[in-house]
Amino acid sequence: MPETTTALLTASLVDVARLGSGLGAVYRALDLVVDGFGLDDAALVVEVPGLGHQVLHAGRRPIGDDVAHLHDAPEGLHTQPPIDEPVVAELLLALGALALRYDARPDPSGTALPGHSA
Amino acid sequence: MSLDELELELRRLRGVLAVGFQEADGLLLVELQAGPDAYPEMARDATLIANQGAVGPVAVEVVRWGDRASAPRETRLRLVEITNDPAVGELQVRLALGDDEGVGRASTDHGLLAPVEATIAAIRAFLPELRFLPGWARLVETTPDRRFLVVASVTDPDTQEHRRGAAEGASPVAGATRATLAALNRTIAQDLAPLL
Repeated sequence: MPETTTALLTASLVDVARLGSGLGAVYRALDLVVDGFGLDDAALVVEVPGLGHQVLHAGRRPIGDDVAHLHDAPEGLHTQPPIDEPVVAELLLALGALALRYDARPDPSGTALPGHSA
Repeated sequence: MSLDELELELRRLRGVLAVGFQEADGLLLVELQAGPDAYPEMARDATLIANQGAVGPVAVEVVRWGDRASAPRETRLRLVEITNDPAVGELQVRLALGDDEGVGRASTDHGLLAPVEATIAAIRAFLPELRFLPGWARLVETTPDRRFLVVASVTDPDTQEHRRGAAEGASPVAGATRATLAALNRTIAQDLAPLL
């Protein structure tokens, strides 16, 4: 793992985690991974209690026809081209799971739409 | 509502797998990827949430995915060629399914609706009973590298059901053709499967 990427990733995550949302931190981390490793694309697939299979695509970009088959991809960091960085992948996966678990807790006001997950 | 809050609200809808955003020419395109658990009124609820949470005009596209085993990806029509014959004012769209090809034609007098009409005519070469009719097409963005983002809409006149798709192309006509396919490919996938 390049040292510059690790440093950027850590600094960014700390800043966003202090001041921003969990979801924002995940997207920021994905952007940094794309930039730091010179990737064409990246997405995080995470299984979240209450939400199920969730796909977060770098840049919040639409997935369109899902040519990367992210709908049925296993949990983890999926990049194009692939990278062998298990620590980065595991950190991002943990961050994504935490962010979605805490950010997407059920609406306490009870005004959720009928289709909202409990 | 921030973009994070809007995305989280949308992800809370049952069956949502992914949420994507694309802003173009003042229009916010919101794409929801929905899995087999998605419920029929998801598009309505998502549109309500998006309109409450976004500033400015919003278009919501729900991309529904069933069980991949029952809707194989191969049952997609492939764009082979778009040709324009100015002498007769005709646009031709050629689509393929496996080794079979179908051609649709439309008058270029109809502007950006012509590729939508020609694409639907080409789809009818495979599925004569297709119930959707051309609706409209709009160019929503021209990128600095001269790519054209187009949104196309088709409508079932009996149920007033609309399908919308967005796609890029090297020309507005190519973008509209691909956007029409994006609007319909998933809908017709099951009907195409027996033809392979």
